[in-house]
Amino acid sequence: MEKIEPFGEGFVLALAPEFILVIGLFTLMIVPNLGDAKFRIPMTQIRIPWFMGGKRGTLDSDPRLPGLFATVFLSLAFGLTAMSFLNGMTRTQIVSGDNVMLQVDEFSRMFELIFFGALALASAASVNRLPATSRADRSASGLYNNRRQVDFYILLITTGLGMSVVALAQDLFLLFIGLELASFSTYILVAFMKESKEGTEAGMKYFIVGSVASGVGLYGLSLLYLWSGSLQFTELTSAFAANGMESLPLIALGMLLVGFGFKVSAAPFHFAAPDAYAGATAPVAGVLATASKAMGVLGLLRILLVVASPEATEGAAVWLVALGVLSVVTMTWGNLAALGSTNPKRMLAYSSVAHAGYMLAAITAIGALNWEEGHVNLSNDAALVVVTALIFHLTVLVCFKLGAFLVLSLLESEKGGHTLESLGGLAKRDPFLAVAMFIFMMSLAGVPPLSGFVSKLLVIMGIVKVALLDVTVNSDLAFSDLHWVWFLALAMVINSAISVFYYLRVGLVMYFHEPEEGREGPLPSGGPVRLAILACLVTTVFFGVGAGQLIALAESAANALVGAW
Amino acid sequence: MTTDWISLPLVGMPLISSVVLLAYVAYVSPAARERMGPTVRLVTLALSLAMLVLTTAMFLGDNYIEGTLDWTTLSFGSFNYEFQYEWIESLGIHWSVGMDALSFPMVWLTTFLLPITIVATWHEKNAAVYFPLVLMMGGALIGVFVALDLFMFYVFWELTLIPMFFLILKWGGHDRKYASQKFFIYTFTASVIMLLGLVTVYFLQPENLAHAGSWTGRTFDIPTLTAHAQSANAGGEWFLGVGLQKVLFVMLMIGFLVKLPSVPFHTWLPDAHVQAPTGGSMLLAGVMLKMGAYGMFRLPLAFFPHAAEHFQFWLLALGMVSLVWGAVVCLGQTNLKKMVAYSSVSHMGVILIGIATMQPLGWAAALFMMFAHGIISPMLFAVCGAFKHHYHSMEIGAMRGMAKHSPWLATSMMFAWMASLGLPLLAGFVAELMMFLALWHFIAAEGWSVLWMVGPAFVLAITAAYYLWSMQRTIFEGGEATQPPASLHGEPVPDITDAEKWAMVIMAAFTILFGVMPWIALDMMNGWTVAFFETLLIPILTGGA
Repeated sequence: MEKIEPFGEGFVLALAPEFILVIGLFTLMIVPNLGDAKFRIPMTQIRIPWFMGGKRGTLDSDPRLPGLFATVFLSLAFGLTAMSFLNGMTRTQIVSGDNVMLQVDEFSRMFELIFFGALALASAASVNRLPATSRADRSASGLYNNRRQVDFYILLITTGLGMSVVALAQDLFLLFIGLELASFSTYILVAFMKESKEGTEAGMKYFIVGSVASGVGLYGLSLLYLWSGSLQFTELTSAFAANGMESLPLIALGMLLVGFGFKVSAAPFHFAAPDAYAGATAPVAGVLATASKAMGVLGLLRILLVVASPEATEGAAVWLVALGVLSVVTMTWGNLAALGSTNPKRMLAYSSVAHAGYMLAAITAIGALNWEEGHVNLSNDAALVVVTALIFHLTVLVCFKLGAFLVLSLLESEKGGHTLESLGGLAKRDPFLAVAMFIFMMSLAGVPPLSGFVSKLLVIMGIVKVALLDVTVNSDLAFSDLHWVWFLALAMVINSAISVFYYLRVGLVMYFHEPEEGREGPLPSGGPVRLAILACLVTTVFFGVGAGQLIALAESAANALVGAW
Repeated sequence: MTTDWISLPLVGMPLISSVVLLAYVAYVSPAARERMGPTVRLVTLALSLAMLVLTTAMFLGDNYIEGTLDWTTLSFGSFNYEFQYEWIESLGIHWSVGMDALSFPMVWLTTFLLPITIVATWHEKNAAVYFPLVLMMGGALIGVFVALDLFMFYVFWELTLIPMFFLILKWGGHDRKYASQKFFIYTFTASVIMLLGLVTVYFLQPENLAHAGSWTGRTFDIPTLTAHAQSANAGGEWFLGVGLQKVLFVMLMIGFLVKLPSVPFHTWLPDAHVQAPTGGSMLLAGVMLKMGAYGMFRLPLAFFPHAAEHFQFWLLALGMVSLVWGAVVCLGQTNLKKMVAYSSVSHMGVILIGIATMQPLGWAAALFMMFAHGIISPMLFAVCGAFKHHYHSMEIGAMRGMAKHSPWLATSMMFAWMASLGLPLLAGFVAELMMFLALWHFIAAEGWSVLWMVGPAFVLAITAAYYLWSMQRTIFEGGEATQPPASLHGEPVPDITDAEKWAMVIMAAFTILFGVMPWIALDMMNGWTVAFFETLLIPILTGGA
């Protein structure tokens, strides 16, 4: 383990992807403003070339430039993160005195891959989605359109920065700051389409509910601080181990659960999600459903598994039953609500609620483990399987859930995508998109051999493994000997059977219904977004057929978390 | 074995080539797609014929491929053409293929039906997409039968849904949307329950069996698991315990019973069949339903023989009800295809009864029924399809006096109907006879009342009734004054096309062949059954050595 002081030796190298994003941020701010402006020193006639503002060149005033920059920088950050896996990761901590601030390891890097990958794809897709007007157009709306380009991509990059802070943080307060940076960026991104009523309403709703959830979480945080005097993960863990579960931290944990429950859109904190997804542009909604959700799960893992370490309590974790009930309610509610929604984005939002339920079920399974002396190794193994499954699930979610949103984003650019019927006849209008969408839907439903199936299988396997951990196989084995978390797996398979109905409906509409009037022609071409969809499609299939390598990667990430307990 | 004769030629080739064809077809313009149709059709026919040649050579065995192979004396738990590759090593998942006398007839049947289906539906519209889908269906089906790894088995099990979903959706009848959805949801729901059962079994096996994954220490390998279950079940012990074995048996059986389908899970079948295009129906009835029975033999019966014995009565009851109910419902049908669909339910009841008798004869009957029904039912559906195609109607009685103006169709129909109702010297008769003997044997051994035979015996009469009745009304009635169906709007009445004639003749020929010389296929089935009983069931269930 390497310890580095901020701006000490190796600091920049350790946080290279984050620094790339910061550079990207500044580039985005500066480059589109470069011009031939001169600065006149007051009271003189001396003009110094200042380059900010004035008449801009042809290249840097291109309205498409911010999108390109953001995509390139996010991809660079993705690439750098991926590269850090190549020659073995050394766990690096950024410390300030005795306090550990950030920690770079496989776990945080894996989540950063998810964040940066999703954001890079969304950014590429947004090039299509945000109207950019030609430079010759000097009308107010034209200028306005072009002006907004930069804002949008700056917000995408700050989202990425905030999320990576969440991934790296080793201190609850730092984690919270990263969470808020990412949240505030997404609040604005959701409301970015302010011409449309839905966009504004969605942004407002998302902001209000989100800030209340954050407030509750922050209050929980302060209670934890009151109790232990520190927000360092290590300190909190040892405080739990020493004092056991007292009522004060229990209340604090409950409040934190609210804060992060909102982020993963778990019932009953999910009410803002469908509105937010429906009002936001499709790429942003895709980010909410994948990267933002991964951030929430990351927070939950840190809090429930590291801070309130289940092994510190006797028997099962204190939050076990609460979380188990929550997971079943979440998945069932999400699926039932998705059955009734006719807006594909709302449908996907509810399906993402259902997926949150599956992930909560997996986390619950870890809480059911028995951490007594002599049992720790077994439990560690089982926890490793579950966390691996979670990471795998979150990773492939970027492929097919974001992919589905990207398909919708192409429909959105012809003012469709808000009703299921606008998908009608897609098979005839654009076979590639229809096939892609169908594969994404099948993957969401968990049909083999797509990656959605492998991820669901892994989650089920994790839960079942936990449920069977204390079972000794002999003739007297009865069904009731299974731990009750087995029923979470049953709830999950029944729920995925329900979900097939609405995923299949999308396919039916695309292949069976006639196009709506005025939508018969081909869809807008949109090179970047199609490329992004193709990338999602290829990975969706590849991680299903050749899941081995991603599983190994997820396992190494999970090992970094579980092994450090 | 040095060459992998299964993975690429029988599974990979149809899947890959169909995906390539579909991708190419999606890429070209609609006009070009229309032009490509005949070429694509020829390509798929050639590929499927090549597969048929290969499997036939495999059947003939001696020195054609890989030296001497005898399907009839294969010992239990060993496979021909076995091959294994790493797939997801950490979880103990392999791409593992092989065939024994249980799966081989099904594989041969699939390769036999593929070209027949292509020929019988030679003039299907949108050919450039339809025929690759049929080929893909074939590849996925064979994948199910040759898979020796639970993960792979499940992958192919679900993969078969997708081409069939599209076949029904794009080429189906009026209510195809409802039918395809119902079909998909029914079978998917059942399969995920089965999946949970499989995963539970996976984690209940001891660590570090052969082929175990490096990470979980467990394996998905079917022969390994079967062998382990066999030793754990031995001596009257219950593998995984009494309570759990029953639950897991039920979970697995749900997946297979819905696919078979058995009453009360059968309602998706008539809808799917009536709406499916002819080719879809032929493959659905011919092979896809047998996946259910195949799965039962491969997994729950081999893993959980105690539970199978425990639930024997219920299996028998389900089989009886399917048999009787399917036949009774047939009587009331006015739609030709629906009648044939319900007759499939009835015949699947025969398979279930055969399994439930827990007699070698009964199992062999079930296996032979799977095979025979796999040749006869596609012919039934081909006849229905030709009927629909030429007369634009499926109503019994819409068409009268067919013998007069459409002798080919009338003859084919009569032959298929006779084969299905169990005329001696045709394949179906052999299976039904064996089932009756096994059931007699079982009832006598258990000391049950002879009344148990009444239901099945009665069904024979009902079956004859609905088939003869429908035949009489369509083929013969009307005499000289034939009445072309109103749906033809006065156009001349056509007979079936040459392609359809060829398909019918070939299917009829094989129905006769396997009726007169059932031992061609029956020998290996019998060998497998006897081996299964001798090595697995009898030692376990009698608790002896």
